[in-house]
Amino acid sequence: MTDLVTPRVSTRRAIPLFGSLWPIAIVILAAFAAFFLFPYDLAFLTRIVIMMVFVLSFDLILGYAGIATLGHAAMYGCGAYAAGLFALHISPDPLVGLLIGATAGALIGWASGLVLLRTHGMTLLIISIAVTMVLQEAASKARWLTGGADGLPGISVSPILGFFEFDFVGQVAFIYSVCVLVAVLVLCHVLVSSPFGLALRGIKNSASRMRAIGTPVYRRKVTVYTIAGAIAGIAGALAAQVTGLVGLEVFNFSLSADVMVMLILGGAGRLYGALIGTLIFMTVHHVAASIDPFNWLFVIGFMLLVVVFALPDGLVSLPARLVRFLRRA
Amino acid sequence: MKIVRWTVCLALSAAACALTSGTAAAETIKVGVIATFSGPNAIWGKQFREAIDVYVAQHGSEVAGHKVEFIYKDVGGPNADASKAAAQELLIRDGVKYLAGFDFTPNAVAVAPLIKQAKVPAVIFNAGTSSINKQSEYFIRTSFTLWQVSAPAGEWAAKNGAKKVVTAVTDYNPGVDAEAAFSSTFQKNGGEIVEKIRMPLNTTDFSPFMQRIKNSGADAVFAFLPAGPATFAFTKAYNENGLRAAGINFYGTGETDETTIDALGDQAIGLVTAYHYSGAHDSPLNKSFVAKLKELHPSSRANLASVGAYDGVELIYRMIKAAGGDGPKAVEAAKGMEWESPRGPIKIDPVSRHVVQNVYIRRVERGSDGYLINKEFATIPNVADLGYSQ
Repeated sequence: MTDLVTPRVSTRRAIPLFGSLWPIAIVILAAFAAFFLFPYDLAFLTRIVIMMVFVLSFDLILGYAGIATLGHAAMYGCGAYAAGLFALHISPDPLVGLLIGATAGALIGWASGLVLLRTHGMTLLIISIAVTMVLQEAASKARWLTGGADGLPGISVSPILGFFEFDFVGQVAFIYSVCVLVAVLVLCHVLVSSPFGLALRGIKNSASRMRAIGTPVYRRKVTVYTIAGAIAGIAGALAAQVTGLVGLEVFNFSLSADVMVMLILGGAGRLYGALIGTLIFMTVHHVAASIDPFNWLFVIGFMLLVVVFALPDGLVSLPARLVRFLRRA
Repeated sequence: MKIVRWTVCLALSAAACALTSGTAAAETIKVGVIATFSGPNAIWGKQFREAIDVYVAQHGSEVAGHKVEFIYKDVGGPNADASKAAAQELLIRDGVKYLAGFDFTPNAVAVAPLIKQAKVPAVIFNAGTSSINKQSEYFIRTSFTLWQVSAPAGEWAAKNGAKKVVTAVTDYNPGVDAEAAFSSTFQKNGGEIVEKIRMPLNTTDFSPFMQRIKNSGADAVFAFLPAGPATFAFTKAYNENGLRAAGINFYGTGETDETTIDALGDQAIGLVTAYHYSGAHDSPLNKSFVAKLKELHPSSRANLASVGAYDGVELIYRMIKAAGGDGPKAVEAAKGMEWESPRGPIKIDPVSRHVVQNVYIRRVERGSDGYLINKEFATIPNVADLGYSQ
């Protein structure tokens, strides 16, 4: 009898914490399905998963804390270069490489955040772009270290945990990236449902009220910017390890802009909005570009227009909208 | 677990089949073209594709009983991640036997481990950093390197009256290559480099640099800038700041690219450049190439990207003739191949797997049809990739 009772008690206790984790189970299932359904597209799927990690980190600062920047590539790029250089010169271990990437991203997030987050609106946008441009120029100048415009080639990592070697088809890279995505998702989930996450939403809605009730607004913002930087650094490190090369374009303005577009498309302020937006954006991009490699941009532009006009809250709001529409009908 | 293993085996064996199936007779041989077809650098992909169209229109799509099919993949600019993923997809799903294209260096370098593993030759139509070919023995290049054109430019300038030269290059890898190559041969031939100026990548106002060039007391400037707005602004500043009037000669390489030269207008007339291809090269083969291009794509002009792709396809056809879809055999066969190209006689160097070609000294003139052209007036024959041993 006792054997039966004990687990029941423990599940009940676990509900508040893990009850809302079912979407993560869906992500894992979807990844499994994708793995078996599209065995020839794993390289592309891996890129989607890495981009999801990156967009998630941006969701933390834009969707939850309401900090709009156009320089999120700064942290991604630093993570990529740090992981690349670490693998080339110190140790080829991929997991330590991720940690290094996260540290680099967090450091640059913290350092730039100290300045950036004292400003608002347009000023913040411009300074965030400037930070990324400075980093790109620095990487371009430091040819002895980064290889400049030719990129940092020849990055190879040892088998993950000593067992799983990166293969030609890209299976290990995909599974590895999905594991990292799930870990990051769980982390973000815990973060946004914690009191800290609540404080962030409060700051997004009204920073002055939060200040009035005693929340150190600036410190909270710097903290979330640093955390987002670490996650963006992980995404960059993953990209460096999977591609085996880091180029200057990791700091491109278009990367920062794409991230924002993907998040708005999916719906900011919801972790799953980031995932859906990335999936839809990259899939449409890929399919349209395969069908017509010359004019596919038109399709993307049209899709964005439709979504922004018809679903201002992003694609995640589609089911609720449909329900409302059907009820009215 | 069993299912996982089973699927893994299936996927792997399918991939292996796609990669290793040899030279069975009369199969379709697919060629994957990875380039930029969208965004601000889409001109590269456009020139590649049009040149491929011309080649296929002239030579048909069948070689030695094999049908050749081109599959285009857009990577939207310099983007190593996209390039590698595109190559993986082409190799694994489409089972391509040859890769081609590659406008930017990182895009080429990113596929090096893949082509090594898959034993698939990759023909580079543009990406011109010498060290790419060292990353894998499956790279073969039909374009040029900055060492290849800048070093002859230095030698020619020294032998033709230039005493003191100031170099002004854009501060990124190709610019630094051009500066190093030009100065080494120029100094070897008795010239003096009075100043080396490196200009930031996003410079739009070149007047301060023009002042420095004037003050340096040089009698010529050797410039390297990426094609497009920077070149336009630089030549404009060169004229407006009185450098031309002061008798300071302009030497360059690809600044007078056929696709952008008409935007420069009259201020470009008289600029001297050293390069491997001019759309106005005087040979029957080039005339038929340019005429066919005009017929298929009336608004298009042949430039370095066109000739790189045209010769690249010629090379792929020759490799298919020699080895079908067998990668290692095809690369072996390509070494030492020589033929007549629209740019003149060319040969694939067996060591660097880079094209050996003539470098021409040209001057911008207005052609008989009203367009600006690069008129060749001196030739430095059979130049190899001088940067490979650097």
